[in-house]
Amino acid sequence: MRYDDMTEAIGNTPLVRIDPDVHGLRNIDLYAKMELLNPFGSLKDRAAWQMARPLLAGAAERGDTVVELSSGNTAKALAMIAGMHGLRFKSVTNRMKVPEVKDLLLLLGAEIDELPGQAECLDPSDTEDPLSRMHRTLTSNGSGYVHTDQYFNERNVEAHLHGTGPEIIKDLDGHAPDYFIACVGTAGSSTGVARALRQHDPDVRVIGLVAAKSDFIPGIRTIDEVHEVGLFEPDVYDSIETITADDAIDGLLTLVRRCGTPAGPTGGGAFHGAVRHLRTLDDSLTERRTAVFIVCDRVESYLSYLRERRPALFGRPPRRNDTRLLDEAEVAAAPTIDVEEAQRWPGLVVDLRSPYAFQALHIDGSINIVDELFAELLHGGLPFSRRQPVLLVCPVGEKSARYAALLTRMGHPSVRSLAGGVIAWRDAGARLVRD
Amino acid sequence: MPDSDPLLLTPKMDPIIQSVLAGPALLRQLTDGLGSPLNIVLPEALDANVAAFRAVYRQHRLRGQIYFAHKANRSSALLRHLATTDAGVDVASLGELQHALGAGFGPGRIMATGPKNREFLWLAARSGSTVNADSLDELSELAGLVAAGRLPRVRVMVRLAEFASRGVHMVSRRSRFGVPAGLLPEALDRIDKHADQLELAGVAYHLDTIGVAEKAIALEGCLAALDECRRRDAPAWSIDIGGGFGVNYLDDGEQWERYTSELAQAVLGRRPPLTWNGHGYGLRNEAGTLRGALGLYPAHRPVSGPGYLSQLLAATAPEQRRPLGTLLLDSMTDLDIEPGRALLDQCGLVLARVLEVRDGPDTLVRLEMNSRDVSLEEHGVLMDPIVIPQDSAGFAGPAEVFLLGNLCLESDLITRRKVVLPVRPRPGDLLAFVNTAGYFMDFSATRALHQPIGRKVALFRTGGRWSWCLDEQYWPVPERAEAA
Repeated sequence: MRYDDMTEAIGNTPLVRIDPDVHGLRNIDLYAKMELLNPFGSLKDRAAWQMARPLLAGAAERGDTVVELSSGNTAKALAMIAGMHGLRFKSVTNRMKVPEVKDLLLLLGAEIDELPGQAECLDPSDTEDPLSRMHRTLTSNGSGYVHTDQYFNERNVEAHLHGTGPEIIKDLDGHAPDYFIACVGTAGSSTGVARALRQHDPDVRVIGLVAAKSDFIPGIRTIDEVHEVGLFEPDVYDSIETITADDAIDGLLTLVRRCGTPAGPTGGGAFHGAVRHLRTLDDSLTERRTAVFIVCDRVESYLSYLRERRPALFGRPPRRNDTRLLDEAEVAAAPTIDVEEAQRWPGLVVDLRSPYAFQALHIDGSINIVDELFAELLHGGLPFSRRQPVLLVCPVGEKSARYAALLTRMGHPSVRSLAGGVIAWRDAGARLVRD
Repeated sequence: MPDSDPLLLTPKMDPIIQSVLAGPALLRQLTDGLGSPLNIVLPEALDANVAAFRAVYRQHRLRGQIYFAHKANRSSALLRHLATTDAGVDVASLGELQHALGAGFGPGRIMATGPKNREFLWLAARSGSTVNADSLDELSELAGLVAAGRLPRVRVMVRLAEFASRGVHMVSRRSRFGVPAGLLPEALDRIDKHADQLELAGVAYHLDTIGVAEKAIALEGCLAALDECRRRDAPAWSIDIGGGFGVNYLDDGEQWERYTSELAQAVLGRRPPLTWNGHGYGLRNEAGTLRGALGLYPAHRPVSGPGYLSQLLAATAPEQRRPLGTLLLDSMTDLDIEPGRALLDQCGLVLARVLEVRDGPDTLVRLEMNSRDVSLEEHGVLMDPIVIPQDSAGFAGPAEVFLLGNLCLESDLITRRKVVLPVRPRPGDLLAFVNTAGYFMDFSATRALHQPIGRKVALFRTGGRWSWCLDEQYWPVPERAEAA
């Protein structure tokens, strides 16, 4: 395969059968449309390219910026497409909740505008939401923005009506599947694919999956939020079902661990929702059926999301020399000295506070090792000679006492903690300097 | 698929409010004697709120002052009771400052904020209160007053605004208050110039947002500002982060979620309206798509008040990448806060008498009060009132009703929401609007149409039962000890 540029690699993703031992359905063949294999990493590559393509002519000459309300895959794809065509890309969002996605966008050269939170004191005269206001600035003529408008742009649907949908039919030997299960984000893919499948066979059952209202699954809208999407038409779906973040993660783990498919939470949610829906039908079937769901994107961008919700998955063995392993008696017995004695301290003074605070004011002659770094050092062993007396200083003498206890446990004979910390030192009128 | 169960929005009630409602005889006696509407404040409920904020300070090892934002309620009883705690008061007018001084707050516990006239500045300076300056010119004007009156130096905070977010651009709502953070050097120049009149105590911000990320940027900006002060040998030790910690008004998050979901369905025309004339609370239907934004206070807020403060202090500073609380401690900075609503959580209620119950296509319940007497609607807070029936004979319910006010105006609805009451009210019954002490009591009350403004009483417990006095009669004076 030889291409002139990466956009030619968009689409024509494989349809892969899920091993029946994994899903346990006896009468239904379940297939995954592997949209995670698109070049920029997701299903959204199709829509992004379809929407951006007609807007590119002359945009670079005018110095326009491509702009989209997106916090995820559409932004990623648009940033790369914009970069390929010498355009800047700006993502406007109030949903940027996954740090890796944000970092990746910045790495790709995107500019991000984060919208403000709701006012604490309601201003009844303010009836416009920030998003609508932003929308208006973008669409005004000569703004220097090229707005792809994924939630309302019919080309988002067309990308799937002419691409994703027909590909599924072709790979099923010219048949539409009996069931199509999709998570609803912009509703572009579910609407487009459903339309293509039904043109071929009007009896296709389409199941839309949305997130529970108070839940957050990246890339999926909640039951309320779908109504804010211009492309969302309730009639497309034979039923709309709710999945939780837990369901999505369970599904993700199955795909990742048993199906050789590094799927993100949306793919996991689609798999879980598909199996849950199909299981209720499976027993009553007398002939074989097929079902298709979409694996939208890849798992790597969601590690912090997963870490936050399933910390046990990331369990690591405890490290040695950790203050958390001290018991309260050891901490209480930590050797301390008061401000008066500290002013005559002959040895090293180590200040555990942040560099900014240290630079602003500190005890003369002290050195700064911020506590996080100090903790790291201690995991490896004693960072100074046993013959070197050390006085530890922190804000109120609490952290320094823990470290003094730990160093004592590690065999350091002359470590002390400044009782009451640098705040007691200041309150006693002792001298603080900045260099 | 419209939801057919009644759409309740049950208010969260702590035992203290439940205990007040458990004594309907007293409530009826009070409204019979003093009229409807009647505002009730519960000074002793303040203690727990102050203690909860203090617990957050202890948890983060921080020092600093809790200033009650007086504007949330003008009650004397609440203010005088607060004077018995270790909290201070944030005053935003000449009248509030006089009130605070008269309630027993020493000047060390008073912070003067907001827009100020010369009289307000003078009394703040004369009394030795701290002045939270809103602009550069205010610093000069204050210095001029201090010099002319040969007054002692006044402690000032500089309220900053428009903090630059480095890296990712954070769009913030425009504010009418504060000195742009970039102008801090000029503010410090002015304070230097008037060194005999002004003493810098610290810097401040207040952002009207529930977003922690925006506040994190502002707080880190204040830390940088303080560092700048110290670099210029103007040692300042305080950062005042204002208020906006929020209150959780509803008992059950699911009720809130159901209600807002159904409201969206109603706006889209997929179920009968939930509001007077199909009002959408900011949502609108554009060709089958929901547009606009829900203009309602998020009435169910699992993290609010002290919990929200704790969350902010645990948030990582975007630039220094350490928790904000740790950075405050590292730099030996005292944290000042100005909660209003959050300190008044569960501290009061408003009672109104039912005048008429009119049947028709909708059941209309007319009250002896108007929408300004309990400004829940103005502040976008939706919660159900509690029915206090006159007698126990023949309850019917539940009932879907609209609550109408006593002004001769089409717009005077207590709420534009159709309210589901568990009991069908009858003329003579009372409705209790609970947890309304913060901003919703008589904040906007008016004598328009010669309607009276509700009287305010303080309820307090003596010997295990509730006693009352007029708000202005309440003094937290201990009872005389027996046989001295």
